[in-house]
Amino acid sequence: MPLPLYYFLSITAVNILMSWALYVPYRMAHLHFLVVANMAISGYAAAYMVLSLHLPFGLALLAGFAIGAAVGFLVALFIGDAPTFAVVIVGFTFIYIARTVIENTEAVGGTMGLFGLPNIGGDPAVHRWTILSILYGLVLLVGFLIHRFDHSQLGRAASAAFIDKDLTTSLGIDIRKMGILLQTFSCTLAGGCGVLYGFIYKSFHLDYFTFHVVGILMTFIFVGGYTTLWGAVLAAPVLYGVPLLFPPEIASWRIVIYGALLVLVLVLKPEGVITTRFVYRVEALLSRKGLKQPPSTNP
Amino acid sequence: MEVFIAQVINGISLGSIYLLLVTGFNLLLLVAMIIHFAYPQVVVLSMYIIWLVLGYTGNNLLLGTLAGVASSILLNLISAPLFQKVMEKRGEVDINSTMVVSMGMGMIITDVLSHGFNKGHPIAFPDTLAGGDAIVRIGLISILPGQVYAFGVGVVAVSAFFWLLYKTRPGRAFRAIAEDPSGARLVGIPLLKTGLQSYALSGLLGGLIALLLAALLGSASSALGEQVAIKVIAVSIIAGLGNLVGGLVVGLSLGIVEAVVQGYISGTWSNVIAFVIMLVVILAKPNGLFGLKI
Repeated sequence: MPLPLYYFLSITAVNILMSWALYVPYRMAHLHFLVVANMAISGYAAAYMVLSLHLPFGLALLAGFAIGAAVGFLVALFIGDAPTFAVVIVGFTFIYIARTVIENTEAVGGTMGLFGLPNIGGDPAVHRWTILSILYGLVLLVGFLIHRFDHSQLGRAASAAFIDKDLTTSLGIDIRKMGILLQTFSCTLAGGCGVLYGFIYKSFHLDYFTFHVVGILMTFIFVGGYTTLWGAVLAAPVLYGVPLLFPPEIASWRIVIYGALLVLVLVLKPEGVITTRFVYRVEALLSRKGLKQPPSTNP
Repeated sequence: MEVFIAQVINGISLGSIYLLLVTGFNLLLLVAMIIHFAYPQVVVLSMYIIWLVLGYTGNNLLLGTLAGVASSILLNLISAPLFQKVMEKRGEVDINSTMVVSMGMGMIITDVLSHGFNKGHPIAFPDTLAGGDAIVRIGLISILPGQVYAFGVGVVAVSAFFWLLYKTRPGRAFRAIAEDPSGARLVGIPLLKTGLQSYALSGLLGGLIALLLAALLGSASSALGEQVAIKVIAVSIIAGLGNLVGGLVVGLSLGIVEAVVQGYISGTWSNVIAFVIMLVVILAKPNGLFGLKI
């Protein structure tokens, strides 16, 4: 497989998963940017385990998920039912603290970053196929789980909480528990993504875990559509891929382009490109087609 | 002890700027009903405009100041229709959407500053802006003109703002909208016009803050806006979103705590401690120490 295609496919998968990590808690209006900090924390911790403690990749990946879950759960205990702006600031603050601690910790490479992560399975081709298989396996699994969540009672409760938290509470829904659950899920996902992201490039550098990433992920979910999981599936490959085709002088302004797109979409089409109504229409169309299957030839 | 006193003096001047920023931020929140996350980025853009104008006019302070204030007011007023449109589309006041729009604006401003000015390098302001040598120097304790300007202008601007808010007719309109927008509309207060006045007023404050920050820090970079934005919103949340008096107390306190920590712990770690303190308070009291006012 050509290297550019491998990078495009793998980073697109990471972007879809990370956008979903933001999407899930946003179902109840929590913009949980802690996921970006968690990506860095879990990724660096897993890389340290592989490079210094010589742990195998599989264990490091599991550790990444576990660290993400633990950090997410502990923070969610405090902000499970906090207002949106408080959740946003906690996320930003964590990104800043995590960056500074990593920058000043020699054991994880400090400002230089961590390099020399090994190939999984020894061979570069095996490594790439393994990474892609894990990533797209995760995309399918997480996509299925979110789809089920969206169509479940819990998903409807989250939608209600998005609109009116007080009313939702009066209906007997425990907002705090739901917040803890959704935030922990998103942080677990981000923890795993952090490890996989490092193994795609076989290195870690803090330049990735900046506030720009927050902006990029936000653009993916708000431009794609924040009311359905399909928004990120559409926006992540398109918005990540198209700037790669631009000449370098224009591509270097991609954050400005993302910012302008974000503002424009929120002003002109606040629900984003793919809306819930659109998804229902497609689902209805598909199920109608399903009904019109040719009759069985059996007597 | 000398280090402590010196850092408290530094902290008071830094805190004066924080409290001005929080006041401008809260004004937009209460009257225009938006969370203007990019407000500090607008301030940093104004710092860059001041730097440009000073460079072109041979350090003409008056023109630099006017350009900074004008750019801040203009940017705020330009953004007003965007926020209005977002709320119209929603058919209701939705501060979360305005926050996301504002974050998009912040992304644009930060990236334009990092590409379009001084080849992406941090900018340095001329010494004349900071006012030259220390006015008072006793051992390690020194009081710089930039610190005096920051504190003096901070006190005057905040006093003038509170006078306007509590003693004038437009101020009553601001408070009425903050208290009950529907009620304010019923008694004939023009929401749009008053909202625009709040954008202009916070823009004016933003221009002044840009000048004070330039005098106090002596330099700026594109990343400054993001860092200040987090602190301003954190101060606002710790105080209680929209709580003007709480914002004054917490803004000044954060400046002092940050400066004192900087006196004893080196570089980036001192900022982390300020952030950790903010984080702990937000985690413990997400609705703020002084209570929400929205």
